[in-house]
Amino acid sequence: MQSKRKNFVRGDTAKVPSGVAIGALNNRFAWAEAADFDSDVDVLNYALTLEYLEAEFYRQGNEAGLLSGKEATYLAAVQRDEESHVATVMQTVQKIGGQPVAAPAVDFGDAFSSRKKYLTLSHTFENVGVQAYLGAAGFISDKAILQAAAGIFGVEARHAAIVGNLLGLEAEGGVYMGATETPLSKGEVLGAVQPFLADAAAAGGDAAVTL
Amino acid sequence: MTKNDKQIFDGKPVLQFDNEFDRRNFLRTALIVGVGAGFAGHALGDPTFGNRSSAFAGSLALKGPKGDLEILNYALTLEYLEAEFYKLGVQGGVVKGRELELVAPIADHEAAHVAAVTATIQDLGGKPVAKPKFKFPQGTFTNRDKFLTTASVFEELGVKAYHGQVTMIDSPDILAAAASIAGVESRHAAILADLTGGNPFPAPIEANLPMAAVLKAAKPFIA
Repeated sequence: MQSKRKNFVRGDTAKVPSGVAIGALNNRFAWAEAADFDSDVDVLNYALTLEYLEAEFYRQGNEAGLLSGKEATYLAAVQRDEESHVATVMQTVQKIGGQPVAAPAVDFGDAFSSRKKYLTLSHTFENVGVQAYLGAAGFISDKAILQAAAGIFGVEARHAAIVGNLLGLEAEGGVYMGATETPLSKGEVLGAVQPFLADAAAAGGDAAVTL
Repeated sequence: MTKNDKQIFDGKPVLQFDNEFDRRNFLRTALIVGVGAGFAGHALGDPTFGNRSSAFAGSLALKGPKGDLEILNYALTLEYLEAEFYKLGVQGGVVKGRELELVAPIADHEAAHVAAVTATIQDLGGKPVAKPKFKFPQGTFTNRDKFLTTASVFEELGVKAYHGQVTMIDSPDILAAAASIAGVESRHAAILADLTGGNPFPAPIEANLPMAAVLKAAKPFIA
C-alpha cells in the first residue's frame, strides 16, 4: 500500500517523458513532500482542518453584519458551502474508518472590523484552500474521494474569484491566478493559516495536522 | 490575439490538419469512450464522499496512456471552442469596462490551455486533434447579453467536463495538470454567473458530466 501510494504520488516517470508540457502547467505533485500524508484519512483530516477554519471564519464574519445586498447573499452562500464541506469531509473520514480531527480553536484578530478586512482575509483563505487541495490531490488513492475533493477544490476557486471581484481587485492576479492553479505543499499551507489557529500547539497534539 | 497565437505556437499555423475526416473521427472515438465515462460519471455524480462501490463496473472506457490521450484530445476540443469564442468576443468589442477586464484574461487562459494541452499530447507521443471549425449563433459577438450568457454556458460545461474525467485519467501527472486547468474554469464560471445575474455557487461540490453529454451540448457549435 505504501509503495503503491508513493508510485501514485510520484507518478510513473517512465510514462511521462522529461520536459513534458505538463511541467509548464505548474504540475508540482513531484515536489510535494512524500512524508506529508500517510493515507487518505490524513489528507481528509488536513482538508477538514482547513474547512473548519473557513466555516467558522464565515460564521463569525457574516454574523458581524458588515455586508449587505449581493455581497451578503454571496458570502452567506460561501458559508453554507464551507459548512457542507465540513460535514462531507467528516462523514467521509468516518466512512473509511478514520477518526475526524477536532475543530481547531481559531482567532481571526481584527478581521471583522471592516468589510474590506473581512473580504481580504476571505480572499486569502479561499486561494490557500484552492492551493491546498491541489497540492494534496496526488496523495489521495481512492478515486471516489478524489472526485469529491476535486469537486470541493473547484468550488473554493469559485469563492476565491467572486470575493476577489467583490474587492475590485485586478482581474489577473486578483480574480484569476493565472491560466492554471498553483498547488501548495502542506507545510506552506499550514504556515499560511497558523496565525489564525489560537492554540497551534494544541491543534497539533491530537490532530493529524502537525505544524 | 495574433500576438498571442504567435507566442504560443511560435508562429506556426494552428490548423495543421483541420479537415472534416479528423473531426468526425475524433467525435466518433470520443462518443465511444463516452459510453464508459457515463457509467463512472453517474456512479460518482452523487456529490458525497466515500462512494466506495465499484465505480468502474461496466466502464468501457480505455484506461491507461491511450485513454489519457483520448481524454486530452477531448479537453483540447473544448479548449479550442472556448478559445475561439473568447477571441472573437474580445475582438468584436462586445464587452467594455470592468466586464472586458474580466473577460480578456479568460481569452488568454483558454488560448494557453489549448497550447498546453496540445503540447502535452505531442510530448506523450499522441496526435492532437485538429481544431474544429466552429459556428456561433448570429449576434453572439455583437450582443453583450448573448455573448456573456453563452460564455457562462461554456464555462459551466467545461467545469463539468473536467470533473467528469477525474476518475478516468490514469496518469497522476496528467490529472494534476487537468485539475490545475479545471480550477481556473471554475473561476471563469463563477465570474460569468455573476455578470449574467446567475448563481456563482450552484453547488458545494462541482457537478460532473460524462464525455457523451458534454459533446452533445458542444455539438451545435461545431460547424
